[in-house]
Amino acid sequence: MSIDWITVAAQIANFLVLVWLLRRFLYRPILDGIDAREAEITQRMQEAGRAKEKAEAVENEFREQLKTLKTRQSDMADAVRLEAEKQRDALLVEAHKRMAQERETWHAHLDEETRKYTAKLQSAGGKALLSLTRKALTDLADETLESRIAHHLTKRIEPMTNELRSAAGDGKAAVITSRDALPQPARDDLSTVVQAVFPDVVVRFETNAEQPPGIILRVGGAQLDWTVDAYIDSLADLMAAQLTAEADVKEAAQ
Amino acid sequence: MNLSPDQTIIFAAWGIAINATVFFTWIVMGILGLASFLITRNLRPDVPPNRWRTMLEVIVQRIQGQIEEIAQGPSRYLLYYAGTLFLFVAMSNLLLVVPGFQPPTASLSTTTALALSVLIAVPIFGITSRGIGGYLKTYLEPSFIMLPFNIISEFSRGISLAIRLYGNIMSGAVIAAILLSVAPFFFPVVMDVLGLLTGMIQAYIFAVLATVYISSATAPPSPQLEPQEDIS
Repeated sequence: MSIDWITVAAQIANFLVLVWLLRRFLYRPILDGIDAREAEITQRMQEAGRAKEKAEAVENEFREQLKTLKTRQSDMADAVRLEAEKQRDALLVEAHKRMAQERETWHAHLDEETRKYTAKLQSAGGKALLSLTRKALTDLADETLESRIAHHLTKRIEPMTNELRSAAGDGKAAVITSRDALPQPARDDLSTVVQAVFPDVVVRFETNAEQPPGIILRVGGAQLDWTVDAYIDSLADLMAAQLTAEADVKEAAQ
Repeated sequence: MNLSPDQTIIFAAWGIAINATVFFTWIVMGILGLASFLITRNLRPDVPPNRWRTMLEVIVQRIQGQIEEIAQGPSRYLLYYAGTLFLFVAMSNLLLVVPGFQPPTASLSTTTALALSVLIAVPIFGITSRGIGGYLKTYLEPSFIMLPFNIISEFSRGISLAIRLYGNIMSGAVIAAILLSVAPFFFPVVMDVLGLLTGMIQAYIFAVLATVYISSATAPPSPQLEPQEDIS
């Protein structure tokens, strides 16, 4: 066992050369490759982290939008509900108004119908009244209605002589109008009585189909009459009262 | 029978005799350098590593990991040095199984050269790390009385490194040679396998010890313990 110092020196030199060789061809390339790969991995991890952060930001934004949309949807639903309630109220008011109008129209129509019916009834009742009166007078007293009316009128003239003369003034004609032509005896009676009050006037008899049954005497500004209008009006009042009572009973029953 | 490959002259060039130690060292250097060159010549970051490159990466990273564990931090120069020590010794011992190969580590000259390189590397790394004053101060720690002992310790480290490696490898090679002459079948194979194991362990131990010595020279000074206040 001996140490060859030349070999030792050569081996030290060899070892240093080997260190350089391995540093040049092994450690540096390998470590640089590892460092480059690690740097790339780090960069990719950072990129992935950034992508993740971006994705999270987008997710948060989406969630915020969703939240906003839900809030807006709720507000819109509330607004729509309020609008619907408002429209419903408006429609109800309009319907009530229309119903009131229709009720009014119906009432007006009913009143018109009532008026027409009453008028028709009044006319029919008047005719029936006259016919019955006329028949009753003929059957019971052998008199005509017109002669009885003329007789009644002549009786009213005598107590009112002064009033008639003052109201007649300077009238020179006495016009006696009736709906139907008066019988001759009735004309004679009326002429006699009018001539007695107004000796200077001429008595003239006329018929007027539009006039109510009865006799009207006109001398200048004076007028004296007797018609069945008052009786027919009384008859109509009675009928209307009867109809109203029946309607009240029906409504109460409903 | 030559116990040391130093005495075996392989050839002579320009009047210089090249012995087996140097020759086989060149072979080991050639194998390591050529393999590294061939594997890493086309190394690019965008090319995925192949199996050879992966193997080298594993080896280098394992060495780096060991060094970082011992040195408590990364150091590329320490990796170059200690890693080369390990690879050289390991490859030399590994080639023991090749018939006719005489491992350079079986030469006391080689192990002395490696021990001397460690002896030189320790102050170089220490001065680089701490500065010349800081390094020399370590010889006076914990007290100037320890200066001769520290110097002796420094040299004894190198001697122990050299003798340990040389003894193990040379003895293995010699025993294998003796057994080969006495019983040429079976026993030399067993001894070679045992020599492989011993050689790898010795390579590891040599490199680790070198790293420990260099790390102890480059480590920052430990903080002085301050007396604790009595809180009772």
